[in-house]
Amino acid sequence: MTETRKVCIVAGNTSPFDYNNYHMTIEGMAANVMHETMEDLPEFLLRDIDFVIYSHFSVHFGKQLAAEWIIHDHLGLVGIPHFRVENGGNTGGSALYAAYCLVKAGMADVCPVIGWETMDNVSQSQGAEFIALAADTRYELLVGGIYPIFYAAGALKWMKENKMTEEDFALIGMKNRNNAMDNPKAQWYRNEHKYLTVDDVMNSRLIAYPLKKYDCCLMTRGLAIVIVCSEEYAKEVAKDSGYVTIDGVGLSSCTIRAGDRTAFPGWTERYGAGYPDLTEFAACRNAAERAYKRAGIEWKDSHKQIDVAEIHDAFSSSECQIYKALGWADTDTIAEFVRNRETFMGGSIPTNPGGGLMGYGHPVGATGLMSAIECFYQLTGKIPQKHLSKKTEVPDARVGLVNSHAGTGTSISNFILRTAEGGR
Amino acid sequence: MSKKENPNIHKTTSPPNMKLVKEFRDPETKEVGFKFIDYWISEDKTLFQTHLHYDQLYTWRMGELSPYALGLLDGKLMGTKCPKCGDVFFPPRVNCWNLNCKLMKTEWVELAQTGRVHTYTVAGWSGRSSLKRLPFVLAYVVLDGVTTAIANEIREIKPWDAEFDMPVKVKWVPKEQRIGAITDFYFVPADRWEPSPMNAEKERIKKLCEPVYEWVKTLK
Ligand SMILES: [Zn+2]
Repeated sequence: MTETRKVCIVAGNTSPFDYNNYHMTIEGMAANVMHETMEDLPEFLLRDIDFVIYSHFSVHFGKQLAAEWIIHDHLGLVGIPHFRVENGGNTGGSALYAAYCLVKAGMADVCPVIGWETMDNVSQSQGAEFIALAADTRYELLVGGIYPIFYAAGALKWMKENKMTEEDFALIGMKNRNNAMDNPKAQWYRNEHKYLTVDDVMNSRLIAYPLKKYDCCLMTRGLAIVIVCSEEYAKEVAKDSGYVTIDGVGLSSCTIRAGDRTAFPGWTERYGAGYPDLTEFAACRNAAERAYKRAGIEWKDSHKQIDVAEIHDAFSSSECQIYKALGWADTDTIAEFVRNRETFMGGSIPTNPGGGLMGYGHPVGATGLMSAIECFYQLTGKIPQKHLSKKTEVPDARVGLVNSHAGTGTSISNFILRTAEGGR
Repeated sequence: MSKKENPNIHKTTSPPNMKLVKEFRDPETKEVGFKFIDYWISEDKTLFQTHLHYDQLYTWRMGELSPYALGLLDGKLMGTKCPKCGDVFFPPRVNCWNLNCKLMKTEWVELAQTGRVHTYTVAGWSGRSSLKRLPFVLAYVVLDGVTTAIANEIREIKPWDAEFDMPVKVKWVPKEQRIGAITDFYFVPADRWEPSPMNAEKERIKKLCEPVYEWVKTLK
């Protein structure tokens, strides 16, 4: 494979992430976010766009098929090619992957990725059931399963096998919500708006043991736009504002039903018998191996070669499971890794300084893009401008990881972003 | 030119004659199409919203998976087995998952109605259709002789008494109430199983469940 052309991100923004308080149509949100993006990058013109990838998970929330057609039309982009990517919780990551492939292949030069979800169109318990339609409805949904329940069943076994505790998970739930308190667009900042302790997480209501309410992500209305482009274009419009190169990409898949992970032949071939079971995220490991290889990152001590990460913390437990799948720790070291606060601000790899899904919010189609945008801000020195303070800035960050994750680990993408030379 | 029939192709009755009908429709279940039920205006008269009700029936054609659904009506768990590699699937896969088996068509086999808990959780919140059953134990169970795990509820147990590797057996809803879906059965502890004594973790789960019991009482 020849990989010559570099693919870059030159800008990105989200709408405020909110639930029930933010009355804006999808096309109104898209126009607002595009405005903010044009303010950040005055030389970027709507006329420069030659492809758009849309990122949207569930048409159930809007009762509107092909809702991307509404946005595309509204932005005045009629005549520009477009299509929508849907890949569960990894919709954002997969859409970014599609834009990367298009630009890499020379099929596009300026390819915004526009993602959204309007989950406050239905009640929380109805929304949870809509999302669970991505589980195998004939088996899992009908027995009362929603994603927090499937995840909890995997997390409980993982917790025991890795000598972790409920408190360890609570620490991560606390971290991301408290990080979000420095981020004015984050749902936790905009709604509940309070700093949490580990006890607060432990005392929040049971969702599915070992997960409580504050171990879980938020349901959200929100939209995000990332401007993906060729290096040539990046040099043209972003030499002053700064940009990043997408140096590594990896995408992989796992079974739809977690119960089928006991002995999947493909995983047994790659990683040996008994893996991933219902506990580990094989697709994350596999996607990380691919992304690290492309970006020249060594598996061993990978966390020491990465300055900042924005990952898919649908649950505090899954954030911990992802650390392991990214190679940052193993069964012997994971508990210590978490307790040492390696992923807190000031740790060896601050993770989800933007707040993550638990703090910033999880409007599914926009989520992976939000993670990429926060990582982009970190790598281009924009945190002081985008967050309320420098508290959540990783000083001089130059290598970042973005992770997007679907199902019970059914599709996962990882990206390595690097600050472009002279790019901050 | 005659072509040899591929034995791995699924064949179902076509055209089907769907004649043996059992209806159990709740009279409240109506398909109304698009129906607006209200509108709301903000106090400052700048924002408008409305509620749309949209309801529809889906036909779930089980097709080549029908032996599974028919088995449930009969109180049998029907899984599949690959004749080449021997993997046994429940939920059933009608083609083998092993790439070396080249989508070999699997064979239907009746499964044991006993197994062990691979992992589980105690649910304190769920989707709209399941709220009134809370709290409940959702387990992934590996049935005896099966390669994969199946998710279903364990009933007839205090939620905090569930444990890893506990033996369970299948219990069926009464025959006349079965609908050919996975909810036709659930798991209960095996006859010889006794809950272990209370410990710190079980006390913790019990405490977490208490407000859930109270909350469920308030549901209409
Ligand atoms: Zn086989």
